[in-house]
Amino acid sequence: MTTITAPRRSASRLSPPPPRQHRRLNVQRTLTSVVVALIVVVQVYPLAWLFLTSVRTEQDFANGDPFGLPTGFTLENYSRAFSTGNLALNVLNSFIVTSGAIVLIVVLGMMAAYALQVLGFRGSKFVRGLFLIGIVVPVQIALVPLFIDYAAVNLLDTYQSIIIPLAGFSLPMSIFLFSSFYEYIPRETYEAASLDGAGPYRIFAQITFPLSLNTIVTVVMVNSIFIWNDFIFANTFVLSDGLKTIPLGLQNYIGAMGKVDWTATFAAVCVSITPLLLAFLVLNKAMIYGLSSGGSKG
Amino acid sequence: MLPNRSRLSVLIFLVPPLLLYAVAVLLPILQSLFLSFFQWDGVTDMQFVGLGNYVYMLTGDTVFWTAFLNTLGYLVICLILQLGGALLVASLLTMLRRGRELVKTLYLLPAVISTVAIAFLFQRIYSLEPAGLLNRALELIGLGGLQTAWLSDVSSVLAAVSVPEGWRFTGLYMLIIYAALLAVPQELEEAAKLDGASWWQTFWRIKFPHIRPVWITTTIIATTYALRGFDIPYLLTNGGPGQASELLTTYMYKTAFTSTDYGYASTIAVFVVIECLVAVGLILLLLRRKADA
Repeated sequence: MTTITAPRRSASRLSPPPPRQHRRLNVQRTLTSVVVALIVVVQVYPLAWLFLTSVRTEQDFANGDPFGLPTGFTLENYSRAFSTGNLALNVLNSFIVTSGAIVLIVVLGMMAAYALQVLGFRGSKFVRGLFLIGIVVPVQIALVPLFIDYAAVNLLDTYQSIIIPLAGFSLPMSIFLFSSFYEYIPRETYEAASLDGAGPYRIFAQITFPLSLNTIVTVVMVNSIFIWNDFIFANTFVLSDGLKTIPLGLQNYIGAMGKVDWTATFAAVCVSITPLLLAFLVLNKAMIYGLSSGGSKG
Repeated sequence: MLPNRSRLSVLIFLVPPLLLYAVAVLLPILQSLFLSFFQWDGVTDMQFVGLGNYVYMLTGDTVFWTAFLNTLGYLVICLILQLGGALLVASLLTMLRRGRELVKTLYLLPAVISTVAIAFLFQRIYSLEPAGLLNRALELIGLGGLQTAWLSDVSSVLAAVSVPEGWRFTGLYMLIIYAALLAVPQELEEAAKLDGASWWQTFWRIKFPHIRPVWITTTIIATTYALRGFDIPYLLTNGGPGQASELLTTYMYKTAFTSTDYGYASTIAVFVVIECLVAVGLILLLLRRKADA
């Protein structure tokens, strides 16, 4: 996408529009900027407010105007958030579940895409169709059957019980992202390697995998958001406090303190979104690229 | 196809992913279909009821129909916010000179936050006593008379639980549409302007037909995601007050895990799947046909 648009943008900068149009365009541009800025403020304000509330004192929150700036800055809410809940344990559980599911999604996604796109076989269209089902079908269909199956094989209340459906439902999108990338690896590369005597496993390990690194980053980032934040599977299959992930842990804040301690809860919310937010801000180019190209191909 | 591949190598690469997918997705779909013909509470023996669950759902269950209509309302609000908002911001963005990257990042930010956190946030935004962000904002612009407890008011609660879902993902769809708009050849647009086409004409006659394939994909993603929407209504109101914000998904969840009626819950789940498939079919039919006309 960027390779096509970059030259065009610089070209239009080199040839300015005729002067009469120029003024009207300027007014229009300023107006556009103002409108965009307003929309962005409305979009982001709730998040800013969330953060501001987490550093307010309790009295300030209780009597204060929600639009006002905090009268003082305090980190007390954060220490209360950590001491009341199992915040650290929840974060750890989220890390375990997310990395488990992500490894499955990336490795199995690459393998399936390699079999479908590079190796090829009779019936590959049918298998593709099977995977397509997982993109359209809502996850709720799997809740009752999985609950029953897990109960039968003693998997309820384990990390695996969340990892399996999370990975399974994200797998199709990952396969399609890898497949559409593998389409662009020229046939000749493989043919040359084959002539040199490399078999399918060596070709996968030495050619396809190293070339996939960019796509891997995209798949990891996009899926991390959804898996880190998963609520429905964790809420259905996890019962004990020791295994609760961040979204469930947050939900407990209301029960654990009877009367809701909002400033501490908001501090906990801020802690829970920090890892993803950091990853997002650092890698947002890769993520934005992945999201827009994934959507236009999917 | 690789020349040196063996049947075994295909199986080695294909079987593990297919196995996970079968266990997590395909098998549960079949099991749900199967269960939907039974009455079962998970403890006593399963009882075959044929189409009984389906007949009851479609003819006897008023909660089901309330939930169905609520789901449609939820869908409409989500689509307007997500697709309408996305198209608007994406086209405004193409006119900006500077700061495009910053706007993209900020606009996408809510997508990073978990639904539980969003539910907390909006619980406070909607609150009446003490006045939350929304009620306070209404007061500031002189519309104090409109203040209400948005989540306990039967007439506003459905919109109140739909808005956060719309807000959360609009950035995602904006990125997709923005990328598509950038790919529209500039020459076409300039030619249309030289011929005296207005901004609206250029947009509707030149740009939109160009992004139609992406628009169709985006509409399908947004629709299927809205139809499976669950977290935010479940967390904010749990379907209440009464059934005013009950969606098919929350109703199904409660039927399964509160009333432990696995058979009937599966029937509702099957209906949600059919609903998604019908929606995708309708979108393809309507938007494709327009393209031919």
